[in-house]
Formats: sequence, structure tokens, C-alpha cells
Amino acid sequence: MINLLAQVPTYNFWRVPPLSGELWLKIGVTLLLCCGIVAFLMNAPTRVRRPVVWFFTFIAGAFYVALWIWPQPVSREPNTLPRDGIEGIGFLLNDIQPRVADVSNILTTILLGLGIYSLLRIHLSKIVKRQADSPFSIVLIVSMLAITLVGYMDWYMREFSVAGKEGKLQEMVNWTPINFAQNLLFDGFLQQMDSAMFSMIAFFILSAAYRAFRIRSVEATVLMASALILMISLLGGIVFAWNHGVANMAAGMHIPLANPEINEAGYLNNLKITSAAGWLRNTLQVPALRAVDFGIGLGALAMGLRLWLGLEKGGVTV
Amino acid sequence: MQWHDTAWVGMVYTLLLVFFILFNIYRSEKKRKDLFIRRIPGLNAIDDAIGRATEMGRPVLMVPGVGDLNAISVQAVNIFAHVTKTAAQFSTPIRLCVANAAVYTVAQEVIRDVYQQQGLEERYDTDSVRFVTDRQFAFAAGVSGLILREKVAAAFFLGEFFAESLIFAETANGVGAIQVAGSTEKSQTPFFIAACDYVLIGDEFYAASAYLTRQPILVGSLVGQDWAKILMAATVFLGFWVNSYQRGQMTDTHRMTLKDASEEDWNKLTEDQKKTFSTAETWKKNDDGKTELASPEDTGLYRAFNPLFTKEDLTVTRQPDPDAPKEAGGGEQ
Repeated sequence: MINLLAQVPTYNFWRVPPLSGELWLKIGVTLLLCCGIVAFLMNAPTRVRRPVVWFFTFIAGAFYVALWIWPQPVSREPNTLPRDGIEGIGFLLNDIQPRVADVSNILTTILLGLGIYSLLRIHLSKIVKRQADSPFSIVLIVSMLAITLVGYMDWYMREFSVAGKEGKLQEMVNWTPINFAQNLLFDGFLQQMDSAMFSMIAFFILSAAYRAFRIRSVEATVLMASALILMISLLGGIVFAWNHGVANMAAGMHIPLANPEINEAGYLNNLKITSAAGWLRNTLQVPALRAVDFGIGLGALAMGLRLWLGLEKGGVTV
Repeated sequence: MQWHDTAWVGMVYTLLLVFFILFNIYRSEKKRKDLFIRRIPGLNAIDDAIGRATEMGRPVLMVPGVGDLNAISVQAVNIFAHVTKTAAQFSTPIRLCVANAAVYTVAQEVIRDVYQQQGLEERYDTDSVRFVTDRQFAFAAGVSGLILREKVAAAFFLGEFFAESLIFAETANGVGAIQVAGSTEKSQTPFFIAACDYVLIGDEFYAASAYLTRQPILVGSLVGQDWAKILMAATVFLGFWVNSYQRGQMTDTHRMTLKDASEEDWNKLTEDQKKTFSTAETWKKNDDGKTELASPEDTGLYRAFNPLFTKEDLTVTRQPDPDAPKEAGGGEQ
């Protein structure tokens, strides 16, 4: 079946000379068509929109289900023919997969535009109405415009200028003010502010831990004790002394410090702080997390099935 | 044992789980009788939290995490639709902050539809659903700023959260907001437990829709998940016994004195102590008849769920494609 199909000459809608009028025409018409479909869907009543949304959800879901179930061709090399029909469909699914991913990427990009529109609408309206905190909105809009503009200019210079093509802009000595501005905005401001936010977590952990570790109930006491054992097991000096003491007890003798692990068979070794912490992690924590994983996985599976088959009523599929 | 080495068992197993869920959805639609769902405090607290926000005249904050548009964010938006429904009835302002443009679009549609369905379209504020940014810590900063400026009375953090979870929870705690949180990221759940009033743990997050709406389809799906859990628990026990038996079969356990392991350590012990030391190792015979250490990968259950490819399986000869472009290395040879 696949060999027969292979004889049909392949037609590519987009196979036209680069930058030709025909290409721009096709891009323009396609863009208009897509905008029309989006506008129709946005304005359509729910009872019309729902089956359309479900249809595309079902098709996309069915593709990935087929990709998962269908036997995948092993050791595939480029420009080879499938051996039989089953492998042919496997080839087809594999070849289509990047195109489906492209559609997903294009949709995400379009939706990013909507996100930026939301951001601008909220903050520009704040600025125009001179609401409280509107200076922050001005900072946001100016920063957004600056980083976009400088970012594109920097990219253009690196890709298309003579210095960029020769790779000279890799070195700071050849940078222009635009490259310095890009570096300042991205590495100097954005990355540093990200790091500052991330470092704040340490302080939040402290305040949250203080509240969580206040002994108010049996559960909180167990939590406190477990946390204490785990934390102590990370303190090298205490671990060394504790474990050596336990090893001495287990051996019933004084063991030189250089070899504290000498008696592995004594049951008292279970009292070593590292053994207790390991037991808490491997015997109590890991199985509990596995169980949580099972539950989350099944929940996601059920949710995915309901969405794929259009069984979900209310919420997202109103 | 070769018959199950292509891992089809794993696929059949997954399809069985799917069957359990779909069968119970079908069954619940037919019978339509009320099924018991255990009490989930975090979900019971939703109405209380909204009531508190209404009394204080402050907004309710909802954050569906920083993940992409997937089952998790869709479920979060579903729960937020329920929260919004209640908030709309009392004219309580809402703020839904989103870090992903696709989730933003979906959330905006859902929230608008909720107001429409309640016949309260005039109460819908287009700025209530906001795209903040798609950068993780910029999002954390933006939402924290909103919490502090608007002094939200209730905060719902449900979805896919990572390092920013504690920033949100502690900031909301700082303004005295009642917090209901739940993350599918198990590494973040402890942070929420430490900082929030109510936490949905694991699959409670997915059970929320069924719990709140009691729709037969959702409740049936929940029963299906319970069936699937029973099957998984049975598989774990089966695996436990099968692995123990199989590893026992290929195990040659022998007592070995420490002398065999380390002469130096052995010499430090007294004669009495020497008698107490022993160790055991697990060995198996390989295809050549030699002994080697056995690994969990040698057990039947592992092999059932993981494909075993031989060298022959991976050596495939295919005809070249005569229509392939020459420059790509194809064409007629």
C-alpha cells in the first residue's frame, strides 16, 4: 500500500521560489483565513464552538494515541522505504509528528500575542486613568519595549551585519552600544532580578519552617522529629561523632577513628544517624511519593480521557 | 520468558486502566446514583474562603501554576470556574493570574462563560484574568506584588508550581489571606503544607471537579481511578512476590567472612568478633555459565514492562527511496 502511494508525485503547497510574489500572496491569504477562523470562533455561541473545539481536540488526541500505540520503526535511516504496511504507517506517523508540533508552536506564538495585548491593555489603562501604582505600569511598559527593541537590534546585528557574520561580535571588545545595552538589560537586569527573587526563597523557607515546626499536634511532632533527624544527618561533624559512637557500641569495643564502619553486621548500626535518615527517606518517603505519583498519573489519565472524548461538561468545555 | 519481552504487557495494562475509567463513566451515567466521596477539607474550605473575601470586600486570587496548557492547568481552571461561580453570585472581585499565554486564553473564555451562565455578565471585569509574564520569577514577583497591593483575602494556588510556590504562599500568608493550595509537583507539596491553610495532596487535585459538582461522569471517572488504583496496588504486591521468588532462585547466598573482603580490617578484630561477621551477595549464572551479580532488570515483571531489544532486532535493512533528493544521500544507489 505504501509503495503504491510512494509513486504519487508529492505536492507541497509552499514549494515556490523564495521571496516571490506567489509566496507572499499565499502567506497573506493563509493569515487572513486563520484570522477569519479565529474571529468566527471567538464570536460564535458556545453551542457552535463546543463541537468545533471537541473535533480538533479529538483529532489531535487521536494522533498522539496512534503514535503511542502503533509499532515504531526501529533503526530508521533517512531516505529509506518501509518494509511493509505496518512500518509504512509508523513512518507516516513519525513524519507527521514534527508538523503537528509546528502547529502547536504556531498556536502558542499567536496566543502569546493575546497575552501581550492583555498586559498592555491593563497597564496602559492604569497609566491613562492615573490609578494608584501607575508609575510601576510605566516602568513595565518602558522595560518591555526597551528589551524587545534592543533584543531585536542585537539579534539583527549578530545575524546580518558584517562583524556579526565574521563572528567578531562574540568578543566584547568589538561590541557596539546596542550589544552593551542588550547585555545590560538581559544579563545585567533581568537575570539578576530573577536570581534575587530565587534567593528570597531561602528566607521564606525559614519563616514557613518556623510555623510548620511549631509542635501543635502529633503530626507536627512527627514532622519535627523526622526533619530534625534528616537535618542532623547532613551535618558532617555530628554525623561522624554519632556514627562512630554507635559503631563502638555495636562492636563492643573501641574502634580507631580511622575506621568507624568496621562492624556492618551489628544490629545497633541501625541507630547511626545516616541509617535512620536513610530509612526515613527510602522506606517512608519514597513509597509515599510513589503512591502520590500513581494517584497523580491516574488523575491525569482520567482527565485527559474526559477531555479527549468530550465527556467533560462545565469549566473548560462549557 | 521471551514472549513478553516486547513490552506489550505495559500497553495492555495501560489500556486496562483506560477501560476501568471509561466503563465506570458509562456505569455512572446509567445508574446515576449518588456515590460516596470522602471529605476533602481543602475543597470544603472554598466557600468559606470566598465568604471571607466577600465580607472583607477584598479580591480572591487564583493562580493555575506556571505550566503549559495541559491536563493540570485545565483542571486548575475547572476548579477556578467553580470558585468564580460562587464569587460572581456575591459580586466578590476575582484575580486570575496566568503565566502562560495559552492558559490565559482558555481561562479568560471559561471565566467569561461562567459569568454569562450565571446571568451576571455585567459583573465580569475583563481585567480579572491577567497574563503576567511567562518568566518564572518575574511571574512570582508580579503575583506577589498584586497580593501585597490588593491585599487579597483568599488565595487559590492550584496547578503546576515549582520554586515560586513558597514565594506565593508566604506572601499571601503575610497579608493574612486564607490559602487553598495543591500542586501536582510533589516536591512543592511540602512547601504548601508548611505555608498554606489547606492543601490538596496528589490526586485530590484531580478529584476536585467530581467533589464540587457531583456530575455522574466525573464521579464515575473517580470510581474508575479507584479501580485502577486497586489494580496497581495488586501489581505492586505481585511484583514484590515475583521479584522475591525470582531473585531467590538465582541467588547463591553464602556467608563470607570479612577476611575475604579486607585482610587489614579483619586483623583488627578479636577471635570472638571474627565469628560474628558475615555478609551475603546475590549472584546469578549468565548465559555462558559464569556467575555475575543479579540486577532488578533480570526479573520477569521488569521485563514485562520494558522492551528488550536484541542486536538482531535493531539490525534492519531497508530499500533506499528512489524519489529521495540526491543531496540528502538518497535516491537510486
